[in-house]
Amino acid sequence: MTFKFTVGTILCVVLMSVFMPVLINDYQLRLQEYNENVADTQADLRTAKVYMNINMGGRYMVHRPPAILSVFSKGVENQLASSVKIETNTVPGLSARSSEVNPYLSVLPTMDISLIFKIVVSVLALLVACDVISGEREQGTLKLILSGTVARHQVLLGKLLAGQLTLLVPLTMSFLAGLSILLFSPGVGFTASDWARISLIYVASVIFVSAIYNIGLFVSTLTKRPAISLIAGLFFWIVFIMVVPNAAVYFATQIAPLEPEEKVDSQLELIQQKKQAEVEKIRGGIPGSGGNEVSDFYDNFQFYVLVCDKEGMEWRQKFHAALRPLYINYADKLWQIEHLHFKSLLQQKQLTNSFSRFSPISMYDCIMSNLADTDTASCQYFIDRAKAHREEFIDYLRVKTDNFSSASYFTQCTEADMAVYQEYLDGKMPEDDFQKWKERKITQVLPLDLRDFPQFIYQPSVAKSFNRIIPDLALLFLISVLFFVLSFVTFLKYDVR
Amino acid sequence: MIRHIIRKELLENLLSLRFVLSLLLIICLYAAIGFIFVSKYTRQTDDYWKRTNENTAAFSERAGQLYKLAFYEQEIWRKPKPLSLCVEGFERYLPNYFNSSLFRTALPEVRSRSNFLLPNFCDIDWVFIISTPLSFVVLLFTYDSFCGERQAGTLRLILSGSIPRHKILLGKYIGAILTLGIPLLMGFLINLIIVISSDIVKLGSGEWLRIIGIALISFLYLSMFLLLGMFVSSRTAHSANSIIILLLVWVGLVVLLPGSGRIVSDIHYKSPSLTEFRKKIVESKDQIFREMRTGKFGKNAFESHPDRNHPSNNPPAAARFWNAFFASAAQVYEQHYNKMLTQAFASRNFACISPAVIYQRASETIAGTGINRCASLHQQIKQYQQDLKEFILSKDAEDPDSLHLLFAFEYAVGNWQAISNKPVDFDTVPKFQEHDLTLGQSMKLAIWDIGLLVLFNLVFFAASFVSFLRYDVR
Repeated sequence: MTFKFTVGTILCVVLMSVFMPVLINDYQLRLQEYNENVADTQADLRTAKVYMNINMGGRYMVHRPPAILSVFSKGVENQLASSVKIETNTVPGLSARSSEVNPYLSVLPTMDISLIFKIVVSVLALLVACDVISGEREQGTLKLILSGTVARHQVLLGKLLAGQLTLLVPLTMSFLAGLSILLFSPGVGFTASDWARISLIYVASVIFVSAIYNIGLFVSTLTKRPAISLIAGLFFWIVFIMVVPNAAVYFATQIAPLEPEEKVDSQLELIQQKKQAEVEKIRGGIPGSGGNEVSDFYDNFQFYVLVCDKEGMEWRQKFHAALRPLYINYADKLWQIEHLHFKSLLQQKQLTNSFSRFSPISMYDCIMSNLADTDTASCQYFIDRAKAHREEFIDYLRVKTDNFSSASYFTQCTEADMAVYQEYLDGKMPEDDFQKWKERKITQVLPLDLRDFPQFIYQPSVAKSFNRIIPDLALLFLISVLFFVLSFVTFLKYDVR
Repeated sequence: MIRHIIRKELLENLLSLRFVLSLLLIICLYAAIGFIFVSKYTRQTDDYWKRTNENTAAFSERAGQLYKLAFYEQEIWRKPKPLSLCVEGFERYLPNYFNSSLFRTALPEVRSRSNFLLPNFCDIDWVFIISTPLSFVVLLFTYDSFCGERQAGTLRLILSGSIPRHKILLGKYIGAILTLGIPLLMGFLINLIIVISSDIVKLGSGEWLRIIGIALISFLYLSMFLLLGMFVSSRTAHSANSIIILLLVWVGLVVLLPGSGRIVSDIHYKSPSLTEFRKKIVESKDQIFREMRTGKFGKNAFESHPDRNHPSNNPPAAARFWNAFFASAAQVYEQHYNKMLTQAFASRNFACISPAVIYQRASETIAGTGINRCASLHQQIKQYQQDLKEFILSKDAEDPDSLHLLFAFEYAVGNWQAISNKPVDFDTVPKFQEHDLTLGQSMKLAIWDIGLLVLFNLVFFAASFVSFLRYDVR
């Protein structure tokens, strides 16, 4: 019935009702972009005339669908690339998404639902807890209670249960308000796995609020005046929400500094140079000059060999048969260096997470992003799936093009076409006739039949997310218990006068 | 009498737990950011000069043939600024790499050694400390100014004398601002001593003036929260209620409202996605290509036989085609860039309903950092490319063998001598240099934000005054 409870509850519900539609709108826009990307890729695949078309220039891409639960926690989802190229030349890796978003928007903080819980609900928990003991002492009611037969541990337990049940009201109300808006929004549907995640988000939020409440309770048992306990509690809150997360990043970057980008770039360049040298060697090692050819350019500057002479056909077959395996080999070498660099980034990230465990707010943040499927590990899972899919893609190309040695890799030209072209080259066919033949031939070149093309499957697992949150969740629970025990010990010695 | 009230307030505050805690917090934070800045600035400066020298060296190699200067894609990096100590202006997350040539300006990029997996926290600088934790600490100094004294019964005692209420209000305000000034000035001094003694930053008189300007704006911002605290305190009977209201107002003003800009940008100013942008680029290029095929630019516009006098070549047509081809793409780039900037500025303007954003923006303007600087840098680079183009054309005009046709196809321009192949003295070639706004210009830009902060102060002072005049001290 207090003023702070009323204001806090109303604020939570209002904020949830304001933020949720905006966050859903953002999700819908990202979903629309994802659908467009998928449709574009499918269209590119449908128009491919030769297998080379789906293996060059990053035409074939796989895309990560936006996580619906990103409304609860945006995590690093917006910072990382959500589309990767599937081709022989490169191996997919986790990369920054800086070029895909407006970098100038960095001047404004990102909002999500976890921010409401992290800030408003945690402050409310502190406000409720900070005067539980010291407030009653100041009013003199604590003396009255303890003059009866009620044991101190019963008083404290009662305070704990009552406080936590009180805090459940704004938490549950805002949670339900947000969930209702989400559920009734167009284009939003939940799977069983999403429901499991939402339930876990609620449980984690309850444990988080309980931990903050117990910290406030402990502070309250340490002081005699509620004003002082409130100031001390809020001081800790500032440390938890601002100092620890920033300090964790700073210390992690100091302890495990990254290798200069120039070093990584020079290593990559060295391999690229070796690769280029070997390409030239292959080019020079194939007898003949490469013959003659006519290419056709179609959508988005894609091209294929429309027709070539016999020499050109043989030369190209030998060239691609030698070149593609070389590219696959060098893609692995390049990936190994990039992966080493990425591992150092990951090490910094893990170190940051370890340091930030000094703050229950940071722990809660980690749990939320894990459950929302927007953390680094979830994004890494997408990349792992893309890598596995690339292997399937390469195997498919190998089978279809006889290990890249078949002409179908770069042309649909037949013996008869070559004969016509040879006539033209020998001057037996006039230019105009050849142009007409070429126009007719272009219309005859049909897109590839890709019905047996391997499908990309990406299904994030809730079990894996749960495994990842167990340490943080357990630690948060432990903090809650630890601070309650500390409150209990302090309260046993508390001077009620 | 007012001196007695100030003295009482000062002593009361200085001996309180909140003062000790805030002093500790401020000194620790300012010392920490001093050390962090020293290591960061050294690394950033080294990186900047290394990259800039590499770019200049590569550019100078092109001076052997005039036409090659036109096709060099310059890599321009944003220079680290000493005043980022006071306000970094989120520059860590703003574009710092600009790649441009006469024919093409790529979208500015963020290239840094920072780990993209780490969370995007705020930059810890003077302004962050003042705008966030300190603004909260200020509220702790004044939340019980009147209601606390009312509860203790001392307010009734004071008012039973002959002191007018406005003097009490003024005394409390001055006492609180003086109390606050002690840790804040100590923090500034400790921070500056650490930075100056490291000998990595040389601050000129202009920079000192800017630092003083930022310090004054900081006091103005904190004074606003101080008055807000006094106002709420004069509207409530219990200090517990006062702190709750203030806490919620603070969360709203400092934490939630700055994020409201994102909401506006998401709804009204969403810039096109990269997929849409790429599609537009391809479409515009396709369009010019189709026009070329219809003969819009002249016959054989696409031909590029190495021999200039080969009958298939048509240099004027080729120049028209290639310039149109790149100009169409450049236009799409420019439109996309402008949309991104419009989105960011509109969002930020909306977020200015939060005084924390007003304060941040005013400080950035005075320090010459932040989003305005990035936008200005992009403009300066464009202007520089224009100057370089004029220089190349003027030098080319001196060569009688040249065709005097500058277009975006290096192979043809070189082979045909469309632009002079003769060497040029590199010392005479314009080089890019970033120009900062003068202090006067910066102040002129920041005047609205400063005015808003003054207005907030006056409003809260007037509100506290009116409210305290009617305050029931019983």
